[in-house]
Amino acid sequence: MIANEATTKRGKPQTKHSFYPAWCKRCGNCVAFCPVGILVADEWGYPRQVDKDRCTGCGLCEMLCPDFAITVGYEKPGAVDLAHPASALDSPEVIQEKSDAAKAASNISPERLAPVPREEK
Amino acid sequence: MTAVHRSVVYDWLRHDKKFPHVWCPGCGLGILLGSLVRSLAQGGYDKNQVVLVSGIGCSGRLPVYVDVGSVHTTHGRALTFATGVKLAKPDLKVIVVMGDGDATAIGGNHLIHAARRNLDLTAIIVNNLTYGMTGGQYSPTTPLGAKATTAPYGHSEPSFDISALTVTAGASFVARSTVYHVTQLDQMLGQAIAKKGFGVVEVLSPCHTNYGRQNRLGSQVEMMKGFKKQAVRMDRWEKMSPADREGRFAIGVLADHERPTFLETYQGAVDRAQAIRKEG
Repeated sequence: MIANEATTKRGKPQTKHSFYPAWCKRCGNCVAFCPVGILVADEWGYPRQVDKDRCTGCGLCEMLCPDFAITVGYEKPGAVDLAHPASALDSPEVIQEKSDAAKAASNISPERLAPVPREEK
Repeated sequence: MTAVHRSVVYDWLRHDKKFPHVWCPGCGLGILLGSLVRSLAQGGYDKNQVVLVSGIGCSGRLPVYVDVGSVHTTHGRALTFATGVKLAKPDLKVIVVMGDGDATAIGGNHLIHAARRNLDLTAIIVNNLTYGMTGGQYSPTTPLGAKATTAPYGHSEPSFDISALTVTAGASFVARSTVYHVTQLDQMLGQAIAKKGFGVVEVLSPCHTNYGRQNRLGSQVEMMKGFKKQAVRMDRWEKMSPADREGRFAIGVLADHERPTFLETYQGAVDRAQAIRKEG
């Protein structure tokens, strides 16, 4: 989407990471090499953007992702990320929002919204 | 040249080819695939103008995922197939993706002779220091003393330096980069593809599944951090003493010069033969 439609903070368009869990192999490159350290692995090992304000939009996570599972774009106001299930790292409002949206959208398979957690070694 | 956005990758992928791809989690080949597509889009090439040729190995799967004309050939013979494609259709951009075993062991002769002829090809040699697909046997680039499936007590042979080999053999453009230095890799690939003559880009890529596991190098994250520590920029490398160079490698453009390509010299021979026929 175009930058001028995006949510802005201090005049700067706020970046938004899009993750494709279907392509992600949970290798951890994006989490390890984010220069500002705002990507964190959630309880399943999938990356999560925890601090939107500090994202510089450099795109290194996108370029170092071997599986093309991340894109860095701009945030659209009021959009709910349905491609990714809610995680314990999300705020309670986001978790509620996602579960409501998932119930509303019947075409999304339950597996996509609740992946099997990775077994601990 | 126009600036393209990173998301151009999705326009060049073959989405019917069952993504996620076959490579191990964290493999550098996926990063190289993205980098190659970005440099092709950045160079303004059309999909119908580009041919990707690959041999056997993990790197052999790379052209399968790109929506351009692609040839998946026999082991070590990627450059010979590419030579045929280039001579039949000189207008095409022919890019050859090979692994280190493919390029220097089985296809070693093809590599040095393609560099000597200076055919207008681009060879991308993915160097992961081992035969990854077959289970971690040693390859010609495995360092002295490193462990491999076929060298459990440490490798007893010194390794090939692919870049130095191709510079000596006469390639027009030789560069080395790693998958960690991804923005530099984009530039190196773009320069090599644009270059008239034989362009070689040696790309160091982690194989944590086989080489890293056997040599206790950790995950691909640790291996890529190792690339960051060991890699030295070319201008700094030239000032370093041989003792400092131990265990490190130079990244950047190692050779860039103009030489007549095979197509030009061959055309010269054709012209001379035709002139003699007309006289006779």
